[in-house]
Amino acid sequence: MQLLVEILLLPIIGAVTITTFKGLMPKKLPGIWASVLVGISFLLSIMADVHLGQLAVSHRMVTGTLWTWISGFGPSIGFRLYLDPLAGIWLLVITGVGMLIHIYSIGYMHDDPGEARYFSYLNFFIFAMLLLVLAGNLIVLLIGWALVGLASYFLIGFWYQRPSAVRAAKKAFVMNTVGDVGILLGLALLYVHYHSVGYGHLFTIFSHAAPGSAFFEWTAFLLYVGAMAKSAQFPLHMWLADAMEGPTPVSALIHAATMVTAGVYLMARLYPLLRLAPDVHYLVGAIGAFTAIFAASIAIFQQDIKKVLAYSTLSQLGYMFLAIGVGGFMAGVFHFMTHAFFKALLFLAAGSVIHALQGEQDLSHMGGLVKKMPWTTFAFLAGTLAISGIPPFSGYFSKEAILGQAYNSGHWLLWAVGVLTAGLTAFYMFRLFFLTFFGAPRDAHLHEHAHEAPWVMTVPVVILGVLATIGGFFKGWLGNWLAPTFSAYPGASHAAFESGPLFGTVITVGLAIIAIILAYWLFLRKHLAPRAGIARGFGRHAYQAWDMDAAWTWIAVNPFKTIGDWVRPVEQGMLSFINGVASAVWLWATDLRPLQTGYVRRYALSIMVGLGALLAYYLIRV
Amino acid sequence: MLVVWLLAVALAGSLITLFMPQQSAKVAAGIIGAIIIGVYVALLMHPGQGVNVRWIPAWGIRFHLGSDGLSLFLLGLTVVMTEIAILASKAEWGRTYYFWILFLEFGSLGLFSALDLFLFYIFWEVVLIPIFFLLTSWSGPKGRRAAMKWLIMNLFGSLFMLIGIVAVAVIHTQPAGPLTFEISQLVNIHMDARVTPWVFAAFFLAFAIKAPLWPFHGWMPDAYGEAPAPVTGLLAGVMSKAGIYGFLRIMLPLFFPEFVQYQTGLLILAVIGLVYGAFMALRQTDMKMVTAYASLSHLGMIALGIFSLTRVGILGATFQMVAHGLMVGGLFIILGLLEQRTGSRDIAAMHGLNASAPRMAAYFLFFALATLGLPGLPGFVGEYLIIQGLVAHEVVFAVIAVIVLVMAAWYMLRVFQGIMQGPDKGQKILDLKAGQVWWIVPLAGLVLLLGVWPNGITAHAVPSLYHAVHLLAAKGGGV
Repeated sequence: MQLLVEILLLPIIGAVTITTFKGLMPKKLPGIWASVLVGISFLLSIMADVHLGQLAVSHRMVTGTLWTWISGFGPSIGFRLYLDPLAGIWLLVITGVGMLIHIYSIGYMHDDPGEARYFSYLNFFIFAMLLLVLAGNLIVLLIGWALVGLASYFLIGFWYQRPSAVRAAKKAFVMNTVGDVGILLGLALLYVHYHSVGYGHLFTIFSHAAPGSAFFEWTAFLLYVGAMAKSAQFPLHMWLADAMEGPTPVSALIHAATMVTAGVYLMARLYPLLRLAPDVHYLVGAIGAFTAIFAASIAIFQQDIKKVLAYSTLSQLGYMFLAIGVGGFMAGVFHFMTHAFFKALLFLAAGSVIHALQGEQDLSHMGGLVKKMPWTTFAFLAGTLAISGIPPFSGYFSKEAILGQAYNSGHWLLWAVGVLTAGLTAFYMFRLFFLTFFGAPRDAHLHEHAHEAPWVMTVPVVILGVLATIGGFFKGWLGNWLAPTFSAYPGASHAAFESGPLFGTVITVGLAIIAIILAYWLFLRKHLAPRAGIARGFGRHAYQAWDMDAAWTWIAVNPFKTIGDWVRPVEQGMLSFINGVASAVWLWATDLRPLQTGYVRRYALSIMVGLGALLAYYLIRV
Repeated sequence: MLVVWLLAVALAGSLITLFMPQQSAKVAAGIIGAIIIGVYVALLMHPGQGVNVRWIPAWGIRFHLGSDGLSLFLLGLTVVMTEIAILASKAEWGRTYYFWILFLEFGSLGLFSALDLFLFYIFWEVVLIPIFFLLTSWSGPKGRRAAMKWLIMNLFGSLFMLIGIVAVAVIHTQPAGPLTFEISQLVNIHMDARVTPWVFAAFFLAFAIKAPLWPFHGWMPDAYGEAPAPVTGLLAGVMSKAGIYGFLRIMLPLFFPEFVQYQTGLLILAVIGLVYGAFMALRQTDMKMVTAYASLSHLGMIALGIFSLTRVGILGATFQMVAHGLMVGGLFIILGLLEQRTGSRDIAAMHGLNASAPRMAAYFLFFALATLGLPGLPGFVGEYLIIQGLVAHEVVFAVIAVIVLVMAAWYMLRVFQGIMQGPDKGQKILDLKAGQVWWIVPLAGLVLLLGVWPNGITAHAVPSLYHAVHLLAAKGGGV
């Protein structure tokens, strides 16, 4: 328990000290200080997990209440922490990948005037994310849930003088608030019925309940809305593409590796509830599969290196939800882990490219960087192979686990969508890879000045490259580690890893290889420009992300503004009525003014004197 | 006894400032405010019996002051916000200004501690006066009009309340009760079903105007807009709670069956205010007006909690009164500083001020986040409890309430970003001075504490809250 508190406290101490003393700190200190604190947090997380592993399998959890959060209307709700194997995995990834990205940021942000502010936000994010996964009940989870949203808001809008960044930050915050209130309603419903929001208590009740009642469907749906917003599932996904306005390491940490997977965490955490809500459970998988292929179709046509990666994140999150939907909870968690490695790697490598090209993100200014940045190219290739699902890279294993489970559980449609998306993924990722690093440089001037990133940035990238390559071999260990979590309550009968049919693997990998060859042929042989295909038809709409922004503006934003404009005249009418009355009284009062003002003063005076005398009397008497 | 000292120090202090030299009135008022906080802390540690003696025996009126869980934290809100209002005011506003501020504090403290209905009425009227003069003499160009509207609407309401009070007392004497204004005794009244709706309406009108609840907010925009920032802070932070407090202290115990009877209508009224305020806030271009209508919306939310007639909803409303007072009070005072420094209230006229005033931006954002209900800060606690109270039986209202929470994020960030962020167009303002940070940090700390540890209030408020609304349990108002 004490260890958990220390893990939580270190990053928030960092955020507070950096904010308070940033004026006094030498220029490089905030970055180092922030990284060291997260590093210690990482070591303590390993210790906590080791401790957890030594407990008996049937009691593999550490839990405790720090203080009573609220009481007085029913059973009290405590500020409760909870560590089990599921939270333990997230703990390691948050602090481990978080530490690497902190270190990388020292190099990436070194000439930004807001460097100290950046690191205080980053530390604050780590704190909030740890609170989210270490929460012992839904209230504490919701607090962490909202605070990561706030950290994300800070960091998307980090360059607050850019109007686009400010807009993106607001959009992300408001869309995430939709998710927050979903969780709020869901937990309020659970409290009304079961007088508790704590995991253990609720799950025990769930394990005795019969599935399928409307109450469970609604509760599960509301909590899923929360997951949907945070993990950018269709139709609450647009904020994530815009979130790329933040500094690139932030995109790697928050908008790829950790925060956006909070929805996956929540769904895996709530597996006993999903058993009771079969319709919502299916919906999770269906929307996941749709998000996967939908985002992949957009990624093919993007022009901005970060936008491609953003849509690929959306697509991979879709895979994770697909896994949850078909009951493959472990597969979902496994894909979260490998994705954290390879996607953080891809973003950091892309950050090195952007850094080398003085902030240029447009693919039409890149090309031929392999000679200038060999290490980055090599690392990026590892990440690309991993995300494309080529054996033996990590992504192959986790994607196989998901698709195998989808096939075995009889969700053939979801399986087919997943397989097709795998092919699309390989295509758009290799398009990106070839257009960035190979072919002739499309901007001679930028290419001239490009250079490999400093070691403080390259080393984290290389470490992540190694993890992205070998991460798949953690599968056996992960299966054993997570088993206690998913066997504690009924509802996760297919959670363990299952292998799918051989022909499935052959098709998936085969499609990916064909896609790679196609990308090679189109972009390196035929020298297709990055902008190819976006002029009209399918390409144009996909490039504009299927016009979802306009649709949202039309469906949600404008109606609210219009109603606001209708309310204004109503208010004007009410106010002018009151003004009329006031003026009438004022006119009438002018005739009696001497009397009237005198009256108010005397009124005040007499009350004061009377009360004063009375008070004095009783004070003296007692 | 300490309650009486609280009032006595406030009254004596206000008179002392009146005899201070103009320049040192602010310092004197600040010291007096601090002493009052000291007395309050003593009261917090020894919440005693108060005082209960005969005052006008012929009419059965008693001088009965006391503090319980319902009022204790509202007294705290009053003393804290008054001190902050004093510190945020300008010294050159002179001794009369500080006299009225402290006199307002005296009236508010009396209002929140009176347990005799007639005494309550007197304090109810007492607080009108300082606000009237603060609006006429230290306000913007439309201050006189604002003051007039404040006075007319509130006098109108309290006239009805006076009729209601007399009616209740007289009815209580029949067939054989004594003439009394003790709230705790009037609870046992048996009213004729033909009379009750009128008496209910009389009280309701007075309380709804003071809060204000929609559609009785006609005085609010001008008063909030024109008053100097610290006074707006007190109006929105403290005075608005007087109306809500009236619902809890007087109306719920007296008229519980009527609340059950009219519940749907009352909930609809509250939810209209909630939604209406949010839509108004969304489309305002004046930063003070955004906050004013946001406040109207929040009061709708608090009223929803009360009208849910569940323990948890009423507890949420009680908590939210204190939380909202601190948050909105803080927000208005920061907006006032901003107005002083930019000379404008128009969002479009300000850009990227974060560059020159990062501290001000940070505290602005903090209070804005608290008001929009960010989990971890107290606005969320109250909203959670209120929604918890609504989900059980009134789930439609809960859904509307959470939609408004999303709108709140939208309109608050719109103001913050419009003013503080965006391109730097060369507009420079002075950041918070060290002297200002001195009072703003404790306020922010208090807000943070309430968000992280709301049990500090709820655990204490509950017993007397349920005593005050003891009928709830009998009538089956569950979680």
